[in-house]
Amino acid sequence: MQPATRCLRVALPRVHRAPRLVRSLGTQAPETSGNSSPRTTSFGFKIVPEDEKESLVKNVFDSVASSYDLMNDASSLGVHRLWKDSLISTLRPGRKGPLRCIDVAGGTGDIALRILDHAREKYADRETTVEVVDINGQMLKEGFRRFKKTMYHNTPQISFHEANAQELPPSQFADNTYDLYTIAFGIRNCTSIPDVLKEAHRVLKPGGTFACLEFSRVNNPLLSLAYDQYSFTMIPLLGTILAGDRASYQYLVESIRKFPPQPEFASMIRDAGFTTGKDVDGGAWTDLWGGIACIHKAVKI
Amino acid sequence: MAGTHSSTSLLKLALPLISEHGFTRAALARSVLHLPVPHAAPLSDTAVSALFGRGDLARKTLIHAWLEGGVESMKGAASAPTSLKEVLHSRLAYNESVLPHLPEAFALLSVLESGTPPFDPVPAMKHAARIADEACYISGDASLRLSWYTKRASLIGIYSAAELHQLTSPQSAHAFLDSLLSTSTAIGSSVEDVRVFSQYIFRSWAGIIKSRGIW
Repeated sequence: MQPATRCLRVALPRVHRAPRLVRSLGTQAPETSGNSSPRTTSFGFKIVPEDEKESLVKNVFDSVASSYDLMNDASSLGVHRLWKDSLISTLRPGRKGPLRCIDVAGGTGDIALRILDHAREKYADRETTVEVVDINGQMLKEGFRRFKKTMYHNTPQISFHEANAQELPPSQFADNTYDLYTIAFGIRNCTSIPDVLKEAHRVLKPGGTFACLEFSRVNNPLLSLAYDQYSFTMIPLLGTILAGDRASYQYLVESIRKFPPQPEFASMIRDAGFTTGKDVDGGAWTDLWGGIACIHKAVKI
Repeated sequence: MAGTHSSTSLLKLALPLISEHGFTRAALARSVLHLPVPHAAPLSDTAVSALFGRGDLARKTLIHAWLEGGVESMKGAASAPTSLKEVLHSRLAYNESVLPHLPEAFALLSVLESGTPPFDPVPAMKHAARIADEACYISGDASLRLSWYTKRASLIGIYSAAELHQLTSPQSAHAFLDSLLSTSTAIGSSVEDVRVFSQYIFRSWAGIIKSRGIW
């Protein structure tokens, strides 16, 4: 195989002190605090210095990367595929002409492939393009390999870039460029969510849409109880059995609980300059499966 | 940052566009062309869905915003002390610019997303009830207890009939409203007369029975 890295444009040096984004089924929220002592952020239920978080998260993802897809399927019983499908079907890319899309934290190309397929199959649109951005080169390689099996390989419709979602290099990702910004199960992995949102706002065109699929807060107490039981007992257990790594999966589950609930995240999106619908399910966000996952959408006006 | 506009302010900008584009997603998409710093192109379909809902849901959002605007316009008309009649007339006048699109809008409101039951009368009733209540409030209606309800119920009937009339015959709608209001006042006073007379008869009989020592 042609080394996948040949098509990856390295946007930032690999060693890099700023917090970075890693992608996976689960990770975490920022929560910076304090002005005096070193700035800290959450790592699952632990509080760690911001500088350390990046490497800790990286360790987690290095350890889960090889069995990433298997574990996603096992822990969500395949439901993450349905959620990703519903994200695309609400966006309907290609319906009114080609879109220029950026899929951040989209290393394995799950979302990109769905966007391109949707545009092609439903609207005979072969002009929509997706730029996949991820901080993790291994994930991008996986995505690149996957796209080689499709008709999109070696076309202008798809490209892969290694970059940090919190500081997309303006030379490569210019202001007011994209029609659609997607980030699925990735934003929790960032040390600073506001920085990611700020960058999203910068690169989107006026009128461009921001869409985020992320685990969220379950509001039904019964469902919440069942979900907590499942995720705190079954997922780490599955991690042990399938990937031989309990701690990483424990971390993923914890990081889901640390992510801000729907209204709080919607207000963070607005703070970044976006316009959203009303703060209700079906407005600024759409709950999936009672809030286990949630799609947040916003528009740059 | 230009992102200080809320979806509500976009809806407000879309309201004047309804007369031309109807209660459509196109009207919503074009709202950004009327921002202080206008966009070069209307919003994309994806963006309209993201802000206002998918498909007809976005249209319903626009209709609700327009209805809300109608109630606001009643309040606006009432800067000086206003009679009930004037308030209702001003609300009917608010309909005029979008009259050709109204039947479709009300039809859309009455359709449930699930499709069952096929017809949902609740939104139409809520719409009339809201207007009746607002009109009573603005005109300083001070009725209490049962009359609070009867007053509103009669206004719901009157306004609904006038609006329905307006859809088919816009020219005569205001006259029709006037005639309904005067009839209702006449009915109201007749009912009051009947009540007073019945009370008189009842008391007389009670007095007679008492004086006979039956109790």
